[in-house]
Amino acid sequence: MKLHATLLAGAGMAMALGLAGSSAFAKDSGFKIMMTPKWTGFPYFEAAAKGGKAAATELGDEFVYAGADHADVSLQVETLQNFLTQKPDAIELAAIDLNAVAPVLKQARKKGVTVTTFDADAAQDARDMFVNQLSYKQAAKTMLDCALLDAPDGGEIAFVAASPTAPNHTAHIKYMKEYVKDDPKYQVFKVVDTQYANDDDAKSYDVAINLMQAHPDLKVIISSSAVSAPSGARAISASGHVGKVFSTGFALPSAIKSYIKDGSEKCFALWDPEELGYLATYATHLKLAGKLDVTPGTKFKAGKAGEYTVGDGGEIVYGKPLMFTKDNIDQFNF
Amino acid sequence: MMRKLPQWELTLIVLTLAAGAWSAYLSPYYLSFDQIAESTRHFVFPGILAIGLAVVVILGEIDISLASTLAFGAVLFSKFSAFGVPIWIATPLAIAACAALGALNGVLVARLALPSLAVTLGTMGAFRGLAFILGSETGYTDFDDSYLYVGSEQAFGSVPISFILFLVVALAVGVLMSRTVFGRRCYAIGLNKEASWAAGIDVARIKIQAYTLAGALAGVAALVWIGQYGSARGDNADGAILFVVTAVVLGGLDINGGRGGIFGVVLALFLLGTMRNGMGLANVAGPTQTIVLGALLIVGVLRPILFRGVARGYRFAFSRPAVASN
Repeated sequence: MKLHATLLAGAGMAMALGLAGSSAFAKDSGFKIMMTPKWTGFPYFEAAAKGGKAAATELGDEFVYAGADHADVSLQVETLQNFLTQKPDAIELAAIDLNAVAPVLKQARKKGVTVTTFDADAAQDARDMFVNQLSYKQAAKTMLDCALLDAPDGGEIAFVAASPTAPNHTAHIKYMKEYVKDDPKYQVFKVVDTQYANDDDAKSYDVAINLMQAHPDLKVIISSSAVSAPSGARAISASGHVGKVFSTGFALPSAIKSYIKDGSEKCFALWDPEELGYLATYATHLKLAGKLDVTPGTKFKAGKAGEYTVGDGGEIVYGKPLMFTKDNIDQFNF
Repeated sequence: MMRKLPQWELTLIVLTLAAGAWSAYLSPYYLSFDQIAESTRHFVFPGILAIGLAVVVILGEIDISLASTLAFGAVLFSKFSAFGVPIWIATPLAIAACAALGALNGVLVARLALPSLAVTLGTMGAFRGLAFILGSETGYTDFDDSYLYVGSEQAFGSVPISFILFLVVALAVGVLMSRTVFGRRCYAIGLNKEASWAAGIDVARIKIQAYTLAGALAGVAALVWIGQYGSARGDNADGAILFVVTAVVLGGLDINGGRGGIFGVVLALFLLGTMRNGMGLANVAGPTQTIVLGALLIVGVLRPILFRGVARGYRFAFSRPAVASN
């Protein structure tokens, strides 16, 4: 008898779940939102997933986070295809290659799935909105401000990007070059080189060593890769260039705390990835619930993350840069 | 000779079915013809590379430059598309260019008698460099639709054309290796190079032909790549060679040459594909997936030892009573 009741309850629950999964429209919560990062296991993306999960829980949505353990675009496309098979209401991703993910994302949109990119954008017609951590100009300025703390008198600077096609990295470098050329505040710098390290720790280290050998007067190595910037700091320490060369750019506070504390580095920057993931998921939910019209100028409130405005091309700028120095590094624990 | 270890092929089929059942248990979305057919798409480009690599491995050599050859091919396709070359002219030209890169590997290995691992390690970097130089910094995405057909379209509802292409390639190479003089000679060289040479086989020539074939197949894989991802860049398929080697080893090919067949490689791809598909649909964490596939590769490497053990156990269990009854 008891077994019978359990079976019935189980069947009832399965039916309820099935119903929840199938009635995707005209509802306020219970959406299935699936997120894939560039790769799993990296604290930055894990923090973004934590924020995404928090938003989904707050709003009563189902949240799934999955992906390959290294940044490989063919694996990312496979993950997205697998997501699509699971009939989600929305997909969130940080694109490895903005174009290679486009075909599968377009397929998703054709099936009515909302596509949100965060951290790194996909081709514009392949997604509904892009939650950008910082505007490209803001990011460029923040990194140069850090570089000014490292080398107040300016000097030679070099850039390290993930690849020539990493959309955010290349845009940052473009704007940094413009500021160095046109903005008097940053004209003390001279750009001497740009190298690529594929978000890979060992490669970033080698690239930093090579840059220091190739440019004896190099002052600052700047990277918007949260992998390459700490590797640069390690390379500077290991090769005895402390005080002569500095590494800066975006990095997790946990990865650079020791360098800031021992004084070998002065400044790194980032934003709060957890709140970024929260905002991306919150905005995605609002869109699904029909409460967010993704057109330029629309204002909306994203829970505890504050108020935002939709910009051109469906871009929502999170826009809260954090600069880590020895005065504040202890406040951050991600 | 190809059927020396049919048990392994049988084992692979059983494992694939088991993996399918496991996948169906892991995810309610797995068991659907459309889903499974669609998922084959992700294994076509490494699959075609694996078929090419299998021919080289049967000879007792290795070619780890194939993924770089694919990148070169993809970038070359993008150039042809940019210049408005019709696809039916671009395809043979790009495949021929990739075949030429393969032939270069073959000449270095066979004529100069250099170790194939060292040669193809070098050309792996060189060919990728060539792809980066030939391609622009930003990659190319503006392909003419005719270029994308093979890699993106489906037939019979949900079967990717690229998967059908893979089956055709596998069948053709399978027949080549098991039913032709060329194939026989490849196995002979893989088993005993000196004896083959003494028997009058032009070992160097066969090797160059095998490398050329592998290169040409990388060109075919490039055609699939551009259609599937709509993007040609120097870093295309970077890192794919590990999966390709896994498929070949798991397929039962002896890495020292002379043993195993194309059919085994195809089955290994099915097994790997089924497992990746199932785990992906169940949103299994990335590192866990890597561990599972790594464990599978170790099983593949240990295969001969496992079989010897099983055979010994079999004799131990059954032959003694037979002796006693005599």
